[in-house]
Amino acid sequence: MQQERSKAGGQRAAIGFKIRQQRHLAGLTQRALAERVGISPAYLNLIENNKRNIGGRLLRRIADELRSPIELFDDATGRRLVHDLIDVGSDALFEGLALTPEAAAGLAGQYPQWARAVVRLHRGYRDRNEAVTALSDRLSQDPFLGESIHGVLTHVAALRSASEILESIDELEAADRARFLGIVDAESARLAEISQALAGFFDRERTATRSITPADEVDDFLQEHDNYFPRLERAAAEIRGAAGFAAVPSASRLIRYLQDHHGVRVTLADALDEGAADPHARSFYDAPGRHMALVATAAPATRRFELGRLAARLACGEQIAAELAGSPLLRSPAAQRRAERALQAYVAGALLLPYEEFIAAARATRYDIDHLCLRFDASFEQVCHRLLTLKKPGDEGVRFGFMRSDPAGYVTKRFPLPYMPLPRYGNVCPLWAVYRAFQTPGVIVRELAEFPDRRRYFFIARAIGKPLPSYAAARQSVSLMLVCESLHADQLVYGDGLQLSTAAPAAAVGPTCRLCVRRDCASRQENPIIAA
Amino acid sequence: MAAKVLITEDEPNIVESLTFILKRVGYEVTAVTDGEAALLSLRASQPDVMILDLMVPKLNGFEVLKRVKGDQALAGLPVLVLSAKGQAHDRRLVEEIGADAFVTKPFSNRDIVEQIDRLCGRLPGAAAQDRPAA
Repeated sequence: MQQERSKAGGQRAAIGFKIRQQRHLAGLTQRALAERVGISPAYLNLIENNKRNIGGRLLRRIADELRSPIELFDDATGRRLVHDLIDVGSDALFEGLALTPEAAAGLAGQYPQWARAVVRLHRGYRDRNEAVTALSDRLSQDPFLGESIHGVLTHVAALRSASEILESIDELEAADRARFLGIVDAESARLAEISQALAGFFDRERTATRSITPADEVDDFLQEHDNYFPRLERAAAEIRGAAGFAAVPSASRLIRYLQDHHGVRVTLADALDEGAADPHARSFYDAPGRHMALVATAAPATRRFELGRLAARLACGEQIAAELAGSPLLRSPAAQRRAERALQAYVAGALLLPYEEFIAAARATRYDIDHLCLRFDASFEQVCHRLLTLKKPGDEGVRFGFMRSDPAGYVTKRFPLPYMPLPRYGNVCPLWAVYRAFQTPGVIVRELAEFPDRRRYFFIARAIGKPLPSYAAARQSVSLMLVCESLHADQLVYGDGLQLSTAAPAAAVGPTCRLCVRRDCASRQENPIIAA
Repeated sequence: MAAKVLITEDEPNIVESLTFILKRVGYEVTAVTDGEAALLSLRASQPDVMILDLMVPKLNGFEVLKRVKGDQALAGLPVLVLSAKGQAHDRRLVEEIGADAFVTKPFSNRDIVEQIDRLCGRLPGAAAQDRPAA
């Protein structure tokens, strides 16, 4: 119980430390501040030591007394920093050091820059570890390297043998001498060729040594904005107005818009050209030629989305650039390009699933995703992504988190909830619905889950297979999971028929085995890094 | 009578050097460039010793060695394995199959000659004066 409280204390943002910091800056004693906000000094002391939750009106009163914006105390960035530090502490490298979540909160609260430095350093360490492992694998398994090394040894053997003959036999006849000198010459030349090929191979295959991946940077950027971009919502509305779109624009209307407003010709292709940068892409846009090729075998919802994404690229370039400009979170060109594509997808989602109509339909159907797919002619994943963006002040929807996993457990997309982080490294808890969904493809799996800190969440997951372009194509499937706080589960159609009260039974889960304190879990895959 | 050596190796310049050296010390040398040709040659005329490279085309050296050591008529033939892959598990594998000697590339001609001399000296009934001079 003590440990669970500690975990909860860690996973809460380091609000208490920040309150103490601001109180000192304001020159107030604990007693003085406590009196002003109407609580006891002892309770304020517990709050400042992160031993009590604080939020809502009390936090606002404290913020007002300290003349500080409330975001200073409870901001998403601070929470993420604590979560990232907890992730760092779970690394096997620190086994035995008992890096508790409470200590992580303390570091983040008191020394946020040092905390960020630790996180950045750890990411760099992990990236280098992965690079070394990848390089080691390549060295031992790469066919080009294997053949090259064999070639080197063979040619050196021929060279050595011929050289030894020339060196050791004084009475060698002229014809033999010439023959073996020729062998030395020829084998030397072949050895030189292989050496140059090897040198070129290693230059090309130099492993990236960045300290954070572009995908991580984009994740951080989207989370920083809480995945809601009002400027882009307005931009999508402007496109709709200019194009005269009805509620749900059809593919043909989108094609006409691209033709009439941007001079773009759209054609269907059986496959993209072999020279296409991404052979798995569903479309290709030739900017100089103003021509878009759509893969004919892509699902209709995917084709519409590709058309919407191109519309976003052509009509909202300035607005997207403005969102990206100067973001300190997007440090690499690769991250900036990736973020640009992510925001183009955001606009496409806003264009095809307009905010007001979508949230109205979501509430009316109690967030029935299948119904929303049919209503808006969108895919399951497109609807899930749009549900994550319902954050318009005064007209918010249920707050969801999201993750996408492949059958091997590799998380390919993640958007965490504020107090329910998704671990950045390694697999999540094997008991989460996202993995169970693979056992019943196409069926929605519902799960009321309770974490060690007693927080409860509602998971909704479905494993879907990607449409196959041909009979011989390899089958691919992913599992998509939405998660919301259990308090909101009764607003969802998926909560019907389930006991959702705080006393109802729930699946006992954790974040990931290395961070989980449950000792009696039969599904545990590795020992926890935090000692009991 | 000179002892016969069959070389199974697809790298021509290695064959040329080995042939020169072995002939110089009194061996009669035949060379083939792939595993299938090696088995055909062995059945047509059994040599006194075989030098076998592991990475030859058509039928690789592992397979040739396995068939030789699995054939009652050929099992007694001493085989010296040549390999550019000097890893321990390759060596263990060929020794398990029954190779009589293992030399990694790049090799010294002297080592090859010493090994061949040794293997030929193991032939039953081989008199000391029949062994070619080193």
